[in-house]
Amino acid sequence: MDPSARMAGNDRAAADVVVIGAGTAGLVAAIRLSQGGLRVRVVAAGHGCLVLAPGVIDVLGYAPERVADPARALAPFVAAHPDHPYARVGPDGLDRALAWFRETVAPLGYVGALRHNRLLLTALGGLRPSCLVPQTMAAGDLSQGGPVLVVGFHGLRDFSPALVAANLCAVVPAPGTGVAARAATLEWPGPSGDGRPLTLARRLEDRSLRAAVGRDLRTVLGDEPRVGMPAVLGVDRWQEVWEEMQLVAGRPIFEIPLVPPSIPGLRLFDLLRRVLRAAGGRLQVGAPVTGVRHRNGRVEAVTVARTPREQVIDTRWVVLATGGVGGGGLQVDPDGTVREPTLGLPVHGVPVPGHPRVLPDPFASHPLDRAGLAVDEAWRPVDRSGRVVALNLHAAGAALTGCEPWREKSGEGISIATGYLAASAILEEAG
Amino acid sequence: MMKAVETDLLVIGGGATGAGVAWDAASRGLQVVLADRGDLATGTTGRFHGLLHSGARYAVKDPRSARECAAENRILRAVAADCIEDTGGLFVSTPADDAAYADGFVAACQQAGVAATEVPVTEVLRAEPHLCPGITRAFAVPDATIDAWKTVWACARAAAAHGAAILPYQEVVRLMVEGDAVCGAVLRHARSGEEITVRARYVVNAAGAWAGRVARLAGCDVAVVAGKGVMVAMNHRLVNAVVNRCAMPGDGDILVPVRTVSVIGTTDARVEDPDRVQASADEVRAMLAAGESFIPGFTQHRALRVWAGVRPLFAATSPTSAETRDLSRGHTVIDHAAREGVGRFITIAGGKFTTFRLMAEETVDAVCADLGVRAECRTAAETLPDSEERHYYWIGARQAQAEARPVDDPLVCECELVSRQDLLVAAARRPGLDLDDLRRALRLGMGPCQGGFCMARATGLLHEAGHLDRAAANAALRDFVEERWRGIQALAWGDQLRQMRLDAWILLGVLDLEHLPE
Amino acid sequence: MTPGRLALTAVGDSLDRCIKCTVCESACPVAAVTSLFPGPKTVGPQAERFRQSQGSSPDRSVDYCSGCGVCTRVCPHGVRIAEINARARARWRGRTGVSLRDHLLARPVLTGRLGRPVAPVFNWALGQRPLRVAAERLLGVHRAAPLPRVVGRTFRYRVSRRRPPRSPDRVVYFHGCSVDYFEPWVGQMTVAILEHNGFAVDIPRQGCCGLPLQSTGLFEPARRSVRRLARSLSPAGTDGLPIIASSTSCGLMVKREAEEILGVEDARLRDVSRRTYDLFEFLAGLHRAGRLRTDFTPVPLTVAYYAPCQQRGQGIGEPAMDVLGLVPGLRILELDRSCCGIAGTYGLKREKYAIAMAVGRPLFDDIAAARPDLVACDSETCRWQIGRATGLPTVHPLELLYRAYGGAEPGSAAAGPGGQ
Repeated sequence: MDPSARMAGNDRAAADVVVIGAGTAGLVAAIRLSQGGLRVRVVAAGHGCLVLAPGVIDVLGYAPERVADPARALAPFVAAHPDHPYARVGPDGLDRALAWFRETVAPLGYVGALRHNRLLLTALGGLRPSCLVPQTMAAGDLSQGGPVLVVGFHGLRDFSPALVAANLCAVVPAPGTGVAARAATLEWPGPSGDGRPLTLARRLEDRSLRAAVGRDLRTVLGDEPRVGMPAVLGVDRWQEVWEEMQLVAGRPIFEIPLVPPSIPGLRLFDLLRRVLRAAGGRLQVGAPVTGVRHRNGRVEAVTVARTPREQVIDTRWVVLATGGVGGGGLQVDPDGTVREPTLGLPVHGVPVPGHPRVLPDPFASHPLDRAGLAVDEAWRPVDRSGRVVALNLHAAGAALTGCEPWREKSGEGISIATGYLAASAILEEAG
Repeated sequence: MMKAVETDLLVIGGGATGAGVAWDAASRGLQVVLADRGDLATGTTGRFHGLLHSGARYAVKDPRSARECAAENRILRAVAADCIEDTGGLFVSTPADDAAYADGFVAACQQAGVAATEVPVTEVLRAEPHLCPGITRAFAVPDATIDAWKTVWACARAAAAHGAAILPYQEVVRLMVEGDAVCGAVLRHARSGEEITVRARYVVNAAGAWAGRVARLAGCDVAVVAGKGVMVAMNHRLVNAVVNRCAMPGDGDILVPVRTVSVIGTTDARVEDPDRVQASADEVRAMLAAGESFIPGFTQHRALRVWAGVRPLFAATSPTSAETRDLSRGHTVIDHAAREGVGRFITIAGGKFTTFRLMAEETVDAVCADLGVRAECRTAAETLPDSEERHYYWIGARQAQAEARPVDDPLVCECELVSRQDLLVAAARRPGLDLDDLRRALRLGMGPCQGGFCMARATGLLHEAGHLDRAAANAALRDFVEERWRGIQALAWGDQLRQMRLDAWILLGVLDLEHLPE
Repeated sequence: MTPGRLALTAVGDSLDRCIKCTVCESACPVAAVTSLFPGPKTVGPQAERFRQSQGSSPDRSVDYCSGCGVCTRVCPHGVRIAEINARARARWRGRTGVSLRDHLLARPVLTGRLGRPVAPVFNWALGQRPLRVAAERLLGVHRAAPLPRVVGRTFRYRVSRRRPPRSPDRVVYFHGCSVDYFEPWVGQMTVAILEHNGFAVDIPRQGCCGLPLQSTGLFEPARRSVRRLARSLSPAGTDGLPIIASSTSCGLMVKREAEEILGVEDARLRDVSRRTYDLFEFLAGLHRAGRLRTDFTPVPLTVAYYAPCQQRGQGIGEPAMDVLGLVPGLRILELDRSCCGIAGTYGLKREKYAIAMAVGRPLFDDIAAARPDLVACDSETCRWQIGRATGLPTVHPLELLYRAYGGAEPGSAAAGPGGQ
């Protein structure tokens, strides 16, 4: 046997579905597909964006005024934004996807409903609308105002309880309401710390260090019926940490998301990976996809960059979930060309050459922000004339055109719904 | 009742020249007040590429400037070592450059007293792996890089040690004239609006590109032409030494490794209003494309930030051409008594950062002569604060400091290694600073993430320490976001755009900054 | 020897892709347990902006990077964090010098050669607490660190009188130092498995790949080693043959690290690299091609399997899981943890032993909870670490396969440090 022919087989793998990307949309799609009985391999350049996100499930927070009831706001919102992914998701799709998600991540105890946005405290002391929140943030809905004790830690560099409390006293959650906030600071547990949330979260998993924090916490409690703390209450053993702190406080404690690395995001990422594995899915990280091989209008294989030899994965379906510009799923050249670098898919919503890509006001909605992939009803990318690029290639998540998740506060809603629905389309075809 | 102070000399303009004048005059025993409408070193001085000229760049075209630079380079290395990094400089002939220029260049350097030594190309390529492998010749010159903010503040501190008063954020609203002489100015604080009167025996106008405006307050006419220079900071050091193309100076032909970045410069175009200069996307692209000629793949590297500075070019007669590269980089001490009959008033016009000390010396010589003060200039021999040991700054210094720091003094700005203690000490030293002032003092928010991670952190700390109340903290944070945006919005592509998007996720997505209460 | 110019700039320049997103620091197993290591982003792309490409590195904390490579693997933006750190560590060592201990640990062949003739004494000494305490004081090798025993007869000696079967299908075996001096049965079983599948196995004389030298920061001798090895693995008459490695870390060195960390640009090495396969990668490929023999006898064991960092760094998935999954009766529990802590020689060092044990703790706990009959892991140093920490017999997964093909009981030949 010719040695080169013999060796070729070593660089091939096979799967029913290759999901490209290990962010929210990719993992959601992969889990759903695995649960549906398909052999799934998630292939990702690295870990996805979950550790950057606050771990809450935003559906629609601003449109552009603050949204109190996403279920009701959805129809007028998609009417105004016909290219938005939600226009294709629809209220029913969103409902199903979120119900499935809550069940899938049941150990994290997400609470909330599509009809009501909670107002969560930010790490600067503002209020931010979100729809589904993990158990540890459930008590943090400030939409009715009321007194709050904001507790931080000495040296924790991403959380200043004094500023949070001061700003919180100035916000008006709803007409006629307000928040009376007070700040307190606890000692950093154990030997002097590096100020990082992750270090603190790991320290709090230590029983004796936690006991010291508990003693400290008791001394700062007042009449406030609830306590807000930075989201550092344990990583793997968050439940134990959070419950024990509540027991000590004798009242509900809610976590306040911090800038990355986000610990609630990390918990969600870890859980989704476990669920995927349990469902039989495989996750291959550090594996950037370089392209696909087509045949008769279908993708038949995905190629993966690997030193010293490229890997080829034969597959029946592909889900592209590589994220937007921030995640590297879209790339912009100096001349303003926007590319989908993994598979070279057509990008829609790109500002006309010669027109500004971004505006002088950093807070503005920039012309470039809505660029992305357009898809058909089965979540398959289409070219400018609306033709499907490949019959078995689907896309989901932040790479889709027509949305500005960070401004709308819609990121996880879009990723979960589109990941779920893209997977549903494949399962339907698979029978 | 307006507050009033009296002094010997009022210096208007807190750039390198003004701070140099203040240092020089104060060290000769004059009582000095230095005022700037903003923070020190925020005009041309704070917006240049950081090159301490060896003189080589001017050798062919402007031998006088070359000689001055060569001499000042040696002096500043001795008195301001802490502000200088001894990177050395290279002039390289790329395949696109006229090989004959190199011979003339060597001769001109010799004439001007600039040490230029030919170095084997293989050696240069080993030391500078990013450099174009096709270069044909290379010359080493004693170029270096210099930290403008540090230098100006060192001059100001030296002046203060000699009794000078340093007044940032004090704009001149009126020059006071009595008879045929200027006798002081009314200053207004940029933030509080409070006015003070400074009565001075002498006034020096060191307002650089803004000198024409200041002179007009005394009815004098100084034809300063603002020449815009665009600079782009690349995310890290692509070269270890300053690299110049060995050719007639042109756009985008010099790369300066300063601090953690390398700055490519520069363009030269006349602008009408020095307060309204902005780098266009086209200029940025042209500059990066020019970098390709000596660093192959230059456009693929990450451009971190772009800005434009204005050169205060002085033309004895008003120039009409839009081309400013041919205007001299030399400087002129204008005695308005001789020129327009306005006494006790000098404008120091033109010049460049490298010769700021010489410009100050000549200016103060004229002031002293006029006032009848007999005192020799001491600045060529008096080391500036923190330079006493005569150790050059070293790129690894901050990293070494960070390594030695106690674990409970965490980094606030990870990119530029600014710790909590650094921030609090700087804030306490000069109360009333905003985040942008602290940025210049510490390099806060100047690294790859452009403040995305550290701005909110720093705001919280300043609030906690009582430097900013709640509303001021929120305003400072928003202002800083806007300030950082100004320098990156023209770079909305590639890695930097990815960074901008992550920053948006943090500031808008996680922190919901746009809906924070006022 | 001048390292390749482009290979050097490409790794350093990858720092430009870092947007500080914290993915790497949230995944780093070392930063999770000690404040001595401030995290891969901090000492990698961040600190790199403060390092001149010529000068020495001003930071000691990079020395606490274990080199496990998790950071590079999880970075979604392609920053070569672990490679940047490895180079910075070499520069730091260039400044501080390399201790006698590190010189010794970096040269397993030397240790093996010195120890082999006096193997009984050497191995007895390894088990003697007072001697280990003395070694810790003198050399800085932690008294409880898992050290392998030297065997009296090397792998090469054992196979020297073998009569290889003739076959048109030939492969080259890259056995590495550990098989030769410490675990010859791993090599013997590898050869047996390959021969069972119809391959003639060439075993050219070979030295160290240079990995321990590289991780100690001795780049120049490491470059010499790996170039020499590339020549040894491609003797005349073996052109184009697959090269099979049973050590995941040595395989990784040849496949990637020689070029990406040491900056070696060498045509011979590149050719060898393109032909190098991890043993199970090769077997899994055979299976996909329908050529793997599956004449298995049942192996009624519960095995906890851990895919080591160096194998994940090869980006080949978990081929041992695929192949062992074919064996009847074998129950495999996969351990999803990022590192066992040992990272080559990192966990042997006195000042790092406690860190390494803390890094491995979640893995050891998972193993204890799983209550397996055996633990399987492809990397020798990880096996020694896991065996020592859990007290369970810890084998190369090929020992299970060997047993399934009718060979001896796994672990029986392995009186590894786990048994001490």
